[in-house]
Amino acid sequence: MTIKRALIFAPIILIIFLLQSYFWVPTYEQQTKGNPERLHEYITASTGDATLLNPILSTDATSSQIEGLVFDALIDYNEELQFRGRLATSWEVYEEAYFYVNERVKIPGSPDNSAGAVVEVLRKAMRTTGSLAPGLKGSLENIEEISIEPPREFTTVKQEKPAKKDKKGRELKILVKAPARIKLRLSKVDQDLFKNLEGLLGSTYFSSLPGASCLSISPPVDREELAACAMEFLPPTEHNPVLVFYLRPNVKFQDGHIFDAYDVKFTFEAIMNPKNLSPRVADYEPVKSVEVIDPLTVRMVYKRLYSPALGTWGMGILPEHLLNQAAIEKEAVRLGKDPKTFSLRQSSFNRHPIGCGPFVFTKWESDQFINLTRYEDYWEGPPNYKRFMFRIVPDLLTQEMEFYSGTLDNYSVQPHQVKRLANDPKYQSFSGTSFGYSYIGYNMRRKPFDDQRVRRALGMAIDIGKIIDYVLYGQGERITGPFVKQTDFYNHNIKPLPYDPEGALKLLGEAGWKRNQSGWLEKDGKRLQFTLITNSGNDIRKAILAIAQDAWKQIGVDVRTDMLEWSVFIQERVHKLDFDALILGWVMGIDPDLYQIWNSSQTHPNQLNFVGFKNKEADNLIVRIRREYDHKRQVEDCHKLHAIIAKEQPYTFLYVGKWTAILDKRIVIKDLDDDGNMLYKKIKPTKTGNYNFHFNRWIKIPQMPEMALDG
Amino acid sequence: MLSFIGRSIIQKIVTLFFVSVVSFLIIHLAPGKPSQIDPLNPKFTPEILERFRQEFHLDKPLYVQYLLFYKGLFTGETVSWKDNQSVLKKIWERFLNSLPLFIVGTILTWTLSFPVGIRSAIFRGGFYDRSATFISYLLISVPGFFVAYILIILVVTQLHVPVFGMETFGLQMASWPTKLMDRVWHLLLPSVLGATGGIAVLSRYVRSQMLEVEGQDYVRTAKAKGLPPDQVHYKHALRNALLPFVTMFGLILPGLIGGSVIIESIFAWPGMGRMAYEAILARDYPVILTVNFISAVLVLAGTFVSDLLYLVVDPRIRL
Repeated sequence: MTIKRALIFAPIILIIFLLQSYFWVPTYEQQTKGNPERLHEYITASTGDATLLNPILSTDATSSQIEGLVFDALIDYNEELQFRGRLATSWEVYEEAYFYVNERVKIPGSPDNSAGAVVEVLRKAMRTTGSLAPGLKGSLENIEEISIEPPREFTTVKQEKPAKKDKKGRELKILVKAPARIKLRLSKVDQDLFKNLEGLLGSTYFSSLPGASCLSISPPVDREELAACAMEFLPPTEHNPVLVFYLRPNVKFQDGHIFDAYDVKFTFEAIMNPKNLSPRVADYEPVKSVEVIDPLTVRMVYKRLYSPALGTWGMGILPEHLLNQAAIEKEAVRLGKDPKTFSLRQSSFNRHPIGCGPFVFTKWESDQFINLTRYEDYWEGPPNYKRFMFRIVPDLLTQEMEFYSGTLDNYSVQPHQVKRLANDPKYQSFSGTSFGYSYIGYNMRRKPFDDQRVRRALGMAIDIGKIIDYVLYGQGERITGPFVKQTDFYNHNIKPLPYDPEGALKLLGEAGWKRNQSGWLEKDGKRLQFTLITNSGNDIRKAILAIAQDAWKQIGVDVRTDMLEWSVFIQERVHKLDFDALILGWVMGIDPDLYQIWNSSQTHPNQLNFVGFKNKEADNLIVRIRREYDHKRQVEDCHKLHAIIAKEQPYTFLYVGKWTAILDKRIVIKDLDDDGNMLYKKIKPTKTGNYNFHFNRWIKIPQMPEMALDG
Repeated sequence: MLSFIGRSIIQKIVTLFFVSVVSFLIIHLAPGKPSQIDPLNPKFTPEILERFRQEFHLDKPLYVQYLLFYKGLFTGETVSWKDNQSVLKKIWERFLNSLPLFIVGTILTWTLSFPVGIRSAIFRGGFYDRSATFISYLLISVPGFFVAYILIILVVTQLHVPVFGMETFGLQMASWPTKLMDRVWHLLLPSVLGATGGIAVLSRYVRSQMLEVEGQDYVRTAKAKGLPPDQVHYKHALRNALLPFVTMFGLILPGLIGGSVIIESIFAWPGMGRMAYEAILARDYPVILTVNFISAVLVLAGTFVSDLLYLVVDPRIRL
């Protein structure tokens, strides 16, 4: 019967055909041991694919990792987390400060109020600093040059903010008659300059500048608007920090074109170009201008004090000659697109990037792999590995199997596997603390969380040590504040909250909460009752939710819990400030700027200070940290801020996670010693736990290294 | 006949329109925003978010967004928000990747299920039937990823050959027969895994349909005529049992674009299912909506094809 035979034999033949292919497939041994080329390849994997390989457009981790290899930045962080020159050999930071001459105010100890007189007063004070207050003295010593800018007139146009959303604002024509201005060149950035100068020129010298009377606006506007315009176009004082980078000569892009200051300027302009929709605009918005002084010197002037500025130049530099207006238009024409709407975002460059980094992009198969080969002309000398392969393997078990088989060179160990794998003699393992922390946040707008004692007591009632031991398998550390634990900004003098349910009850008692007959805490006849929420899909948070609920129940707090799908959780609860307490986490950058998360101006719906933390002193410190360019003083302020936040306990800081990665033991650092002999060294992680830091000098050797090597 | 085809095409276009409206609404009303305007990133200022919203037309009323999207789709200009690639090009690439899995899986399912189910029906209640039932229900109830993990661990640790991805990683230099066979090998596990579930379900249907038919008079007549049993079962009985499967066969068309998220993720297979799933997670509306639209078209086309097939296989239907 043919139908029966067909139905049985067709699939069998198909399966046999599929099975026989087994004999053609290379085994893992053939791929790894018998293949000398394999020693020159480094293969790593990630769970997600890259999006756009363009440092100014992408924000995801996979793209950033590839971009870090293909592009080089002006500067980056060294082993100690300090800045180190890459495409820039060195840089300097100084300040140009301006203030308008206020002729209405009489300067103490001077006959007239003209610009010349102000300069004279300053010069005199600078000669005789001995008797002055230390702050003013420091500020004056910092002044290198004083000059006068004559009065000037200019007109400008401003779009008025519409009163209603659907209406268009009027166009304001503004004629500004600016008085003379004094320009100070400072050797260091000094955020207290004007505050200190008030001691010399009078305490209202800056604030009483009659800015509004120097403006004539048509059509006329109300007084409030006028004052706002005066602040915008005639600010009494202005800090202009200046950043000058001296670039490394003879660095070539991977297509042979020489890198110079115009590429830096272009990268900045590309970010600011609204057509490109760069998500990094916020970092560069404070930049007033980028000037090319000569092909190897570039000068950035900032509109205001912005201390994270230097760190933002750790951004990969784009090749101007491939992406400038002309090149983009040419590409648009070639692809038959409208050159007016075509932008860097659409360019094929994003899938074939060219930079001046240590690896050259070769191939990208979506959701499969991205291949790079080493750049022989890299300015620091080519890396030891010939090829860098980046595979996209979405499943962790799959990654693990591939690692054991030798077709992946590293594997990020899951917390529950650490005990088993970290000490495996076949591999070398690295571990460190990560840059993010988990916390329980309290909505401080609501009772009872407006009381610091309640928040502290709730924190004390949870045994966080046990969470770390049992939920995280020991792969976590206590954390007491919002800074990255490896940096100097973190204040190590602050002790974590102790686990002390008795103490917690005492604190709650002080706050008026007493246990009633059935054991629940009560105040004015109302039970201490709230809901703790988190997002679903995160098992660790789910476990913490249960542990916290149980711990709080034991001291008599009636806690309900709820888990919501991530986007509902964020949109409906967090952004609308509709929660009592929640479990969440932050991933931090190295820079200590905390404005968005902790400043009291950020407590509105859709902002990130959703717990509603408001503290004057903290606000001041946050702004100061943002403006402080001196590392030591920044660290001092951060320590103070850390102490305030730890005292106020707006969050119960839970833990910072630890990561562990394992590598094939045959991967070592190859280096030359002082006499030019080859030398193998064991890979050592940096202070911050970054084991990839010396990646360019890594190589895989055929045999397990003798540990007589420098260990 | 022609009027039937015409009517049915008009009906399907109307349905398609409603499907497009509903799916558009559901996706836009569902909570969550595209990852480009992820509001939990301190680096994103309200101005940037507003600019992204404008770029993606999210600031416009829904019906304008709807028109803009479908205009883009039919002119082929829709691009993914994730990487600015053309959506149709992306889907086509992934479709080609998923196609071999689909073809092998479908062939295996739609051939093996019949002999397995028919034998169960013939020897109803016997040892074979019982064990086939047991194995079917086992395969239906054990999650696919579990079987996949077990198979992977066995193959990788015992046979020491790679099974992930579409081809062995780093085999770019090999000769073409090796490369071809390598691809065939990588097809084996995911497609067989995909097919087992299908075989388990479909063979159950075959069994019950056959049971119904086997009791009919014409089967008894055929047996009484002295026809060989295979001819009785595979010709007289099977033909009459086939009718419901015509409908089911029409409905495998949408499987062309659906793919399997779990199998593709486990095997690192760059297929349709994975792309659609990641698009949903990132709220990449253009990709989600396009996949949605194409599968709606395929479902409708599938039902249309099965209507036509009915005409062919069932002489009682006359139009």
